[in-house]
Amino acid sequence: MTALFKRTSILDEAFASVVQEVQRSLVVIQSGRFGAGAGVIWQSNGLILTNFHVVAHGHVRVIFADGREFAARQVLHEPGLDLALLQIDATGLPAASSADSRLLRVGQLVMALGHPWGQRGMVTTGIISGLGSVQTNEGRTIDIIRSDVSLAPGNSGGPLIDASGAVIGINTMVVGGDLGVAIPSHVIAGFTDQILAPHSFRRADSHAIV
Amino acid sequence: MANENPLTELSNAMADAVEKGGTVTVLVNARRRMPASGIVYSSDMILTADHVVEREDDIRLTLPDGETVTAAVAGRDPGNDLALLRLSGASLTAAATAPQPARIGQLALALGRPDSAGIQASLGVVSAAGGPVRTGRGGLLENYLRTDTIPYPGFSGGPLIDTEGRVLGLNTSGLARGVSLTIPAGSAWQVAEILAKHGRVRRGFLGVRSQPVPISATQQEALGRDQESGLLLVGIERGEPAEQAGLLVGDILVAVAGQPVGDADELLSRLVGSIVGQPTPVQILRGGQPTLITVTIGERR
Repeated sequence: MTALFKRTSILDEAFASVVQEVQRSLVVIQSGRFGAGAGVIWQSNGLILTNFHVVAHGHVRVIFADGREFAARQVLHEPGLDLALLQIDATGLPAASSADSRLLRVGQLVMALGHPWGQRGMVTTGIISGLGSVQTNEGRTIDIIRSDVSLAPGNSGGPLIDASGAVIGINTMVVGGDLGVAIPSHVIAGFTDQILAPHSFRRADSHAIV
Repeated sequence: MANENPLTELSNAMADAVEKGGTVTVLVNARRRMPASGIVYSSDMILTADHVVEREDDIRLTLPDGETVTAAVAGRDPGNDLALLRLSGASLTAAATAPQPARIGQLALALGRPDSAGIQASLGVVSAAGGPVRTGRGGLLENYLRTDTIPYPGFSGGPLIDTEGRVLGLNTSGLARGVSLTIPAGSAWQVAEILAKHGRVRRGFLGVRSQPVPISATQQEALGRDQESGLLLVGIERGEPAEQAGLLVGDILVAVAGQPVGDADELLSRLVGSIVGQPTPVQILRGGQPTLITVTIGERR
């Protein structure tokens, strides 16, 4: 790794620029009178992805970083995957890019975005600790991403992103023990494909630093 | 995909390091609860933490390629929480150790293979270095590392690696009441070499109770060296090596086998290895005068 970085400040700049870009796609989700969770803009036409348990109390509102607030309706949910897809009446939104989680490697750098303990737009970083599977309550086996990123209530439903800023999973607090667990993007694609056109993973190329 | 952002390069470098380190990290199944990890020490030997080896028969290893093999204990050193296991009929590629000792602040990855799902990893930095420290298992750890990596269940016995995938040390939570420490590769490999040859690390004892005391300038002059402290003998165990050699309460022990001894930790570290069982010159101050007494070092069992 010695020759990779002429200046370590290049790393700092890269972290900041990747995070800044993805934070545009991060939203706060409120449901009922319960504490806020996180969500990510999945499609620019108003589709928002989050955890099912975050919206389980009904009366769902989506709040953007700039303060705009929208009522949301649930268009798809799957409690076993702890996933829910919401629709808000807005278009031209900055959708997050995504990468195929079947290509992930243990050791890869990842970042989690969310609102742990109500701290809006917080970023925590770490690596992929393991790629494994768990059994859901319904006895279904699903792939999961384990990471050593520090997560807390309020991270639920927020994106786990790779070094390019592409979403590789949705952080969830429901399954898993001591490790941060995320539902991988390829499982998410299988979920959204039920009502949307097959998901094509697209990576942002905008983070190359010259 | 070349020339991506530097984070992607860093990310790929770490994944490469985990992949490389993963080829020398095995699953060690030698206890009732969940399995732990081990490092490939040589073509047919695995170095692991002693505390995860709860049984000596029916030890099973899962190799990085998924193959499960049986292993036998080749040597154990509970004092340093290290054990060496031998596989039959295997030919593995030994782990590469980092050429330099770990530096505080450097990136490090803790690896483990506690289940068959594949390698697991946690990122952090080398947070501190310390030692010598008594381990509570009757040993003296010359030096250790601390990291802020997460010691996931089953990581004991696995490697701490650098970003090139080279081994910086062996992680274990069995030395300090569950706190995860890393035994630096230099020390761990030294012990492994002894275990491969002799099966155990021989630890000696004198049969004395002592406390450190300052040595006066006059006495240092008599010794002919700068040595600010020695060990005042406050108790001599009946029938043990010190008594048999004629050491007395009130003697101040200042050297063993020509090596100065200023405190109890130094004494412990002088009594390890081939010295055990040998008639050994022990230097004391008796009535202020340097005196040599030959003690046959006993073996701690």
